[in-house]
Amino acid sequence: MKVLVTGMGAISSIGNNVLENHLSLQEGKTGITNSKFFNSKYSEVFPFGEIKLSNDNLKQELQNSIVSLEDFTRTDLIAFKAFKEAIKDSRLTKEQITNRRTVFISSSTVGGMCETDSLYLDSNFKKEQASKFIHSYSGTAHLYKIVEHYKMKGMTNGINTACSSSANAIILGAKLIKAGIVDTAIVGGADTLSKYTVNGFNSLQIVSKNHCRPFDDNRQGLNLGEGAAFLVLEKEKNCINKTKHAEILSWGNSNDAYHASSLSNDANGIILSISKALNSASIKNVDYVNTHGTSTKNNDYSELMGLSKKFKKIPPFNSTKSYTGHTLAASGALEAIFSILSINNNEIYKSLNVETPIKPFNIFPQKEYTKVDKLDYVLSNSFGFGGNCTSLILKKCI
Amino acid sequence: MYIKETIAISPQNTLNNDFFEKEPINHKGLIFTAIEPKYTDFIPRKLLRRMGKAVRMGIGAGIPILNKYKNIDGIIIGTANGGINDSLKFLNQIVDYDEGTLTPTNFIQSTPNSIAGVLAQMSNCSGYNNTHTNEGLSFEGAIMDAKLLFLNKEVKSLLLGAVEEVSQYNHNLELLQDTYKEEEIDAFSLLKSNTKGTVNGEGATMFYLESNNKNAIAKIEDLTSISFPDNEDLLIVLKEFLKTNNLDKKDIDTLVSGRSGDNRQNKYYKLIEKEFEHSNVFTFKNLIGEYPTVSAFAVWLSCQIFLEKKIPTQIFLRNKKRKNKHILIYNLHKNRQHSFILLSKCA
Repeated sequence: MKVLVTGMGAISSIGNNVLENHLSLQEGKTGITNSKFFNSKYSEVFPFGEIKLSNDNLKQELQNSIVSLEDFTRTDLIAFKAFKEAIKDSRLTKEQITNRRTVFISSSTVGGMCETDSLYLDSNFKKEQASKFIHSYSGTAHLYKIVEHYKMKGMTNGINTACSSSANAIILGAKLIKAGIVDTAIVGGADTLSKYTVNGFNSLQIVSKNHCRPFDDNRQGLNLGEGAAFLVLEKEKNCINKTKHAEILSWGNSNDAYHASSLSNDANGIILSISKALNSASIKNVDYVNTHGTSTKNNDYSELMGLSKKFKKIPPFNSTKSYTGHTLAASGALEAIFSILSINNNEIYKSLNVETPIKPFNIFPQKEYTKVDKLDYVLSNSFGFGGNCTSLILKKCI
Repeated sequence: MYIKETIAISPQNTLNNDFFEKEPINHKGLIFTAIEPKYTDFIPRKLLRRMGKAVRMGIGAGIPILNKYKNIDGIIIGTANGGINDSLKFLNQIVDYDEGTLTPTNFIQSTPNSIAGVLAQMSNCSGYNNTHTNEGLSFEGAIMDAKLLFLNKEVKSLLLGAVEEVSQYNHNLELLQDTYKEEEIDAFSLLKSNTKGTVNGEGATMFYLESNNKNAIAKIEDLTSISFPDNEDLLIVLKEFLKTNNLDKKDIDTLVSGRSGDNRQNKYYKLIEKEFEHSNVFTFKNLIGEYPTVSAFAVWLSCQIFLEKKIPTQIFLRNKKRKNKHILIYNLHKNRQHSFILLSKCA
């Protein structure tokens, strides 16, 4: 049984919906800028992939459909926005959304921790009275708010494998459909900028003061971004008269079992996850790789090592994080959507800010926006702290 | 999938036979603290010093299994909060030092997947690795993940587990959400209290699973969950669940009920317990307290029941002395998330 993508919703620093994201990718327009809404000592030190809407803007869009937005964090707001777009795109009926055989799987690493100062007061019991966000801090607060609002009666799941979270959400949704346990899976994730992650990644000295430059020899670290992305997955039989964006063909999940916050130079985990994905699809090659490509010294080296060991000739590749920054738990789903846009338009987006390829590989990521004749199979990689490696293969629907 | 071995670190003496042979500990107050093993037997001191409690307990219950059964195909952990103590310690540093220079240790340990990550690293397990964080359904998500892996024959063996730690921070957050009791309470009277709120517990529970039933303790048959149901929804889910597994209500020998002593939840527990009037009804939170992945302890307890170990009488809410072939666990988290886990005894 095939698992097809029938709906997509996305918001990131390069667009407030899938179409806007697509246009930015085609135009090679980055979303990484000085931040406007993010309040931190580092707001002016680092550039960020910040969503261009304020919380008030986001609330205005949602206020007609949601009873109370009072306790909504920014993570909740962007999750609702992308979720709404995905189910509309898929034309899911109310009956389908509330059906027991529809599963909802989401992920967030920051969750309500974006409200750092409220969380500080509440968790240290600084005030007798709880703040309005007291029920909103967890990584899956957005999940149950969506479940409650849409009266979803199916099973739910939340995944946290750090930066590969929503890629694993996609895998789990696809497997539940293949196993015949559900008919529909809504999968993805959401993460916003937070003092927590900025200070965390900064303490590891992997945040760049300049625009990130994935796969450049002089890369100096990542830019943090924010985003939410959801995909609607359905079994093929239910997709008649629907737009079939792509097929979730295969996947691989492994652990690098090397270090808590960095990947091994010999790329064991990466090679294993890519191999599992290729083997279960019985293919040896793909037409394009949407890399994890965070622009840290460690990730890009290990990822290229993995790709060079796995493929005789490395397929065309880019890092769309050069547009959005690293959207953490959302990145797997966001980049799956970007991969699907590539598939359906036979195009590979320019990887930004690369001048010198990484020694000793000496291979450039995609230098220019390019139309290609054949783009049927895409490999999308997502890796996370804790050694979590995930690879997805998406296939064109003909 | 079949449970071959299980280890629980809990607020009771579940790491040795005291749990079966002696009177259980009657914890007092709002926090039931886990009794931890002597970690230095299997964790290098240098490593141990840097570990937060959640990671430490996860390693403490998981590593003995990973060491005993070599080359396990994957690790799946459910944890709602992971290393929340490290998490909020780091957050405190951010605020207290006005985003000054910080050390990354707390940050790295705070990600919930660090438990599965450290387990993989320590056992050199490069296979499947996943962490489920969905509050009161985190462990249930982990079971579903495991079920799919066995179904697709992707693995022959797995380490499946759940971990939750008590930290002053999450205790404060829960107090502000009115989760715990206002009055002082002890474990044995928790379920008789008829007041709102429960108590805060913690623990790490690990299972070694295989695809074959040779020498197995129990089979994890199935699980299901629903959020925000009304009574009717909940009963429909239960009915469907039993039907899918070709069972009738009367086939359930024991219902393990997640009663937490919070009178705001009693209506759901009573509703489900009433459906199984001919079954034993056993509880467990009056021994170990409440936490989001507590259903993993209920699975551990069910394994002990299948093994015909002598169980503390405090858990008998209704003892019909039925022989146990099928055990159903019903758990409710914060009046939001409901789950059913079905287990059966192996020959």
